[in-house]
Amino acid sequence: MRARSSITFAVVVFVSFFPGVALATLNVFACEPEWAALVKELGGDRVEVYSATTARQDPHQIQARPSLIAKARKADLLVCTGAELEIGWLPLLLRKAGNARIQVGQAGHFLASEYIDMLEVPDKLDRSLGDIHASGNPHVHTDPRNILRVADPLNQRLKAVDPDHADSYQQGYRAFKAKWQDAIDNWSQRAAVVQGENIIVHHDYWSYFIHWLGLNKVATLEPVIGVSPSTRHLAQVKQLLEKQPAVMIVDTSYLNDRPVMWLSDQTDLPVVTLPATVDYHSGETLQEWFEQLVVLIREPVK
Amino acid sequence: MNVEGLDTSILAPAFVAGLIVLMTHIPLGHEVLRRGIIFIDIAVAQIAGLGVIIAYTLGWEEHGSESQIAAVISALLGAWVLSSLEKKYGKHQEALIGTSFILASTGGILLLANNPHGGEHLKELLVGQILWVEWKQLLYAAVISLLVLFVWARFRSRIGSLGFYLLFAIAVTVSVQLVGVYLVFTSLIVPALATTGYSARSWPGLSVLIGISGYASGLILSALLDLPSGAVIVWTIVVSALLAKLVIPLKAR
Repeated sequence: MRARSSITFAVVVFVSFFPGVALATLNVFACEPEWAALVKELGGDRVEVYSATTARQDPHQIQARPSLIAKARKADLLVCTGAELEIGWLPLLLRKAGNARIQVGQAGHFLASEYIDMLEVPDKLDRSLGDIHASGNPHVHTDPRNILRVADPLNQRLKAVDPDHADSYQQGYRAFKAKWQDAIDNWSQRAAVVQGENIIVHHDYWSYFIHWLGLNKVATLEPVIGVSPSTRHLAQVKQLLEKQPAVMIVDTSYLNDRPVMWLSDQTDLPVVTLPATVDYHSGETLQEWFEQLVVLIREPVK
Repeated sequence: MNVEGLDTSILAPAFVAGLIVLMTHIPLGHEVLRRGIIFIDIAVAQIAGLGVIIAYTLGWEEHGSESQIAAVISALLGAWVLSSLEKKYGKHQEALIGTSFILASTGGILLLANNPHGGEHLKELLVGQILWVEWKQLLYAAVISLLVLFVWARFRSRIGSLGFYLLFAIAVTVSVQLVGVYLVFTSLIVPALATTGYSARSWPGLSVLIGISGYASGLILSALLDLPSGAVIVWTIVVSALLAKLVIPLKAR
């Protein structure tokens, strides 16, 4: 027994020095923490996951670091949101990485938004309205049902790029699906108190979340991030609020909170700052993150 | 420590981009400092950016050669206006440059104001990040920078003030797309500032040394510490300049 455990220890030490050689793990490059966390749920120890952005960062923008290119270079699978969320940096990164496995159209290139019914898709592509979000609102992960919708094709994709461990992914997926469906039922019940309530949002980040819980968005405070809204827009927001009194202002953790503090000061509405996504880097799970969202959104109403 | 990023195929294009930028910015930086118009680079870059936004609102393509043309034309126009202003109101030139920077940057905000979502990234089009550069982009930048350097070296005395402004506009528009505004400013000002007072024989070599060691050590540090490369290089260029000042005392100039 004793000898065995020391052999195990030796193997573990050996393996941790040569991770790529001894334990043939699948290298996954995730653009956002939510997909990193989901891949980890399905793949467990079979996958080595790297998340390019953190929960406290705007995924539209990214600062280029040498390690980012190195990670993309050795990745077997890339998991991103798509819908033009990463348009500012992902095409450049893919070109710089020159890794054939994860290029557009390859099995190693997985975009979550392709499996979602997108919200806020513009009816017509009018150039004067700008074309950055022509595919609709990209923040799909804020509805837990969407996480499940992505989990199925992601499981298929993991099996396709790493067929030797297909059983392991299938098991991971089954366990996740069961756990997740229960969790969604639980959250939906507890969050039912906010259904139909009027809210103001700082930016259109929570559209899928709002859709899930049946909240009613009265207005968006800052249509373009970082560009102060015009005085007319602010006057309109206040007018709308008189007609449709709201119960709270919903803010996103990574945005500057000055605009919402201003509105809160003007209207005495409480501000609810929701964490933008799961804090994968400090070990938080998707379930813990959604739990937090449900607790926070109930606060002003209960 | 992170050894993974220490890969020459990742760092080499970035380093060459630094060399190309230094090639034009060391001589031009010396001139900028002599004229006392330090913020001209930032103003010209912002005017080039405004040009791209105007072209976009007029229906031009936002990528590729059309936006390049828009950027260069507006940078040249801006340089021409700034050069005329210098002739007329020379002693207020720095204030006028600052004002044109602010106008160009808020002009962009106003043009994109009724453009929900659209164009957020347009502002970044002209602000390159040094790690994203590609070899073919470097080739084009190298050719233009060599031309600028050649004209400056051969015809400096004949092209006058306007000639300097126009050459400068081209050099900045090209390099800001490679390495971004922070590195353009640093490459222009810091080596020149560190070598003011040195003789005409020794300042060019010393400036080049400061620039090269700054880019090289910055790239290596950013790989080891896993930090954004552009910002690290700004600091290492300044440290190289300080070291040069300490090691080579002024009396040895």
